[in-house]
Amino acid sequence: MAAKIQVTNLKKNYGSNEVLKGLDLSVAEKEVVCMIGPSGSGKSTFLRCLNKLEDLTSGSIVVDGHDISDAKTDLNVIRQNIGMVFQHFNLFPHVTVLENIILAPVELKKETREEAVEEAKRLLAQVGLSDKADAAPNSLSGGQKQRVAIARALAMKPDIMLFDEPTSALDPEMVGDVLDVMKQLAKDGMTMVVVTHEMGFAKEVADRVVFMADGYILESSTPDEIFSHPKNDRTKDFLNKVLNA
Amino acid sequence: MKKWQSMIITFMFACGVGLFLHSSQVSAAEKTYTIGTDVTYAPFEYQAEDGKSYVGIDMDIMRAVAKEEGFKVDIKALGFNAAVQALEANQIDGVMAGMTVSPERQVKFDFSESYYDAGVAMAVGTNSTIKSLDDLKGKKVAIKVGTSSAEFVNSIKKQYNITTTTFDDSSNMYDDVMTGNSVAAFDDKPVLAYGIKNGIKMKIVGETYEKGEYGFAVKKGTNKELLTKFNSGLKKLKANGEYKKIVDKYTGTNAKSANSNSKSSRTILGLLKTNSGTLFDGFKQTMLLTIVAIVFATVLGIILGMMGVAPNKWLNGLSSTLIYIFRGLPLIVLAFFIYIGIPNLTGTKIPAFVAGIITLTLNEGAYTAAFVKGGIKAVDNGQMEAARSLGLPYGKAMMKVIMPQGIKIMIPSFINQFIITLKDTSILSVIGILELTQTGKIIIARNLEGFKMWLIIAVIYLVIITLLTWLSNLVERKIK
Repeated sequence: MAAKIQVTNLKKNYGSNEVLKGLDLSVAEKEVVCMIGPSGSGKSTFLRCLNKLEDLTSGSIVVDGHDISDAKTDLNVIRQNIGMVFQHFNLFPHVTVLENIILAPVELKKETREEAVEEAKRLLAQVGLSDKADAAPNSLSGGQKQRVAIARALAMKPDIMLFDEPTSALDPEMVGDVLDVMKQLAKDGMTMVVVTHEMGFAKEVADRVVFMADGYILESSTPDEIFSHPKNDRTKDFLNKVLNA
Repeated sequence: MKKWQSMIITFMFACGVGLFLHSSQVSAAEKTYTIGTDVTYAPFEYQAEDGKSYVGIDMDIMRAVAKEEGFKVDIKALGFNAAVQALEANQIDGVMAGMTVSPERQVKFDFSESYYDAGVAMAVGTNSTIKSLDDLKGKKVAIKVGTSSAEFVNSIKKQYNITTTTFDDSSNMYDDVMTGNSVAAFDDKPVLAYGIKNGIKMKIVGETYEKGEYGFAVKKGTNKELLTKFNSGLKKLKANGEYKKIVDKYTGTNAKSANSNSKSSRTILGLLKTNSGTLFDGFKQTMLLTIVAIVFATVLGIILGMMGVAPNKWLNGLSSTLIYIFRGLPLIVLAFFIYIGIPNLTGTKIPAFVAGIITLTLNEGAYTAAFVKGGIKAVDNGQMEAARSLGLPYGKAMMKVIMPQGIKIMIPSFINQFIITLKDTSILSVIGILELTQTGKIIIARNLEGFKMWLIIAVIYLVIITLLTWLSNLVERKIK
């Protein structure tokens, strides 16, 4: 079966600073991949390359058979199929929760307004925020904001979801609600790439865990292999610090 | 010889009629000529007390000639310099503004027969001991830009070691002498004499220098017909005594004064009442300039600002360059460049109002662009990323997500800019636009009530600005 996402020899420089030093990764359809590793290892940059929020320096990324490093590829079409959730939510503060969710589908004429509203209400129910449709984003708690952000991404009916440290900016008691929504998504068969520090989530939900450090992928395996029998010394060292903190 | 000339003129006139049969049929039915003049050059031209018409020796002669010869005139009080520029640019048909015939001017204009003999005179403060040019050694003298008096002073400057201060209109020049900044002013003798009679605290000393003759001017090689009519009409007026009547009316012993207002109309309320029509016209023009300029400058500013943040180096560079140029140029230089500079080069007409709007649009647009750019940049980067990650193209993301947030940040700057635009319209008085400030200048040149009139003008500006601010705040609250 062809890979949903195929990354080949991806390199990314910021000026003379090489952040990604030649990464290869293949993500299968419906696979959930968790990216872990110390800060500054390049996890988030890697994730942002997948929908080309960052330009690639070299290498290629093929999503659903489309090479996104090719200038002729229509990124707007590719991105409609790749939802993204950010660490700092990035909800649109000038419109209501409902408008946040229906903005893209309506603007891109994917759905009529009525259809989009109906879908948005269904999504809000799915993330447990049915009563917040008319709320202003800034009146929500962090956990609520992130769940709206997930609903907003889902409104475009993507078949890939990227999560960039979705719980890092949340108060601890909010984390569970967001992770529950993500777990349900995984169960429903969404292809997911998740940059996270939630080892419990990685252990429980991931099909594969990828360990990154210093711009390289050092280890990529099942959660059980990574957490119980890490092979690389850097992985061992990292897990030791994180799990025994 | 005379017969020859008149025969040629008659022949040419006949040719003109033949060639332009259609247009001459129109002209036979009272053709209207546009005549430019100075805003204030009493007793030759000044605004009548009713604030509507222009009167004075020039104006009365012009109208009498028109009546005699069967044409109509549309008087435009542009200011001397602006009128001359407008004539050169072919925007008006003739200039009647106490203009002395000189070889330099004859290069560009054709003049009528002289209709008034004037000459340059020197006036000093009433207590001054200066009696002749010799007493001016090492002193400062006030002159008015573009006049033959100024030319005369410049020609003797070296010889008498004089320094000069240049003014745009006569009343400021007189003020400079009365306040003691300059020791003397030079102007055409009848104008000085008239001013002194009407309350300027100065006296004429010395002789009449540089005998000069006033002529009516048309652009060289054009409007022969008008010039012919003027000469013939003037001849008739001189013959039937009408000419003498007009001159006596303004310079004779019983001459009527330009500011014979009674005591009661010298109070602020009285002045406001007497000049309400003129002031209201100026106010309307100021508002029109402001509103049109705000609309255009806002559109230009938003376009330039968006270009400045677009992900394209060339657009960024173009935006920065345009902002740099039009924010860097003083408004007055830009106004002159557009109104006088460009028509000089291309020969195309640009009406003063249009030139004014272009000037304001470019200048205020550049300032607007700068804060639009800043406002957009102040919106968190993550907003654009989130919008793009949903598949929205750049333009849609900008319009639906970034701009609505950016505009909220920009609103105080917009209000500020609107107020600045309103105030900047006053600078356009230099190209002869009859907005509030220019209106004030004209009224003051007539009634010499500097303090009260500028107070009235200042209050009017403050009232408009208050209304504008109030309106802007209302809009701001609506948006938020």
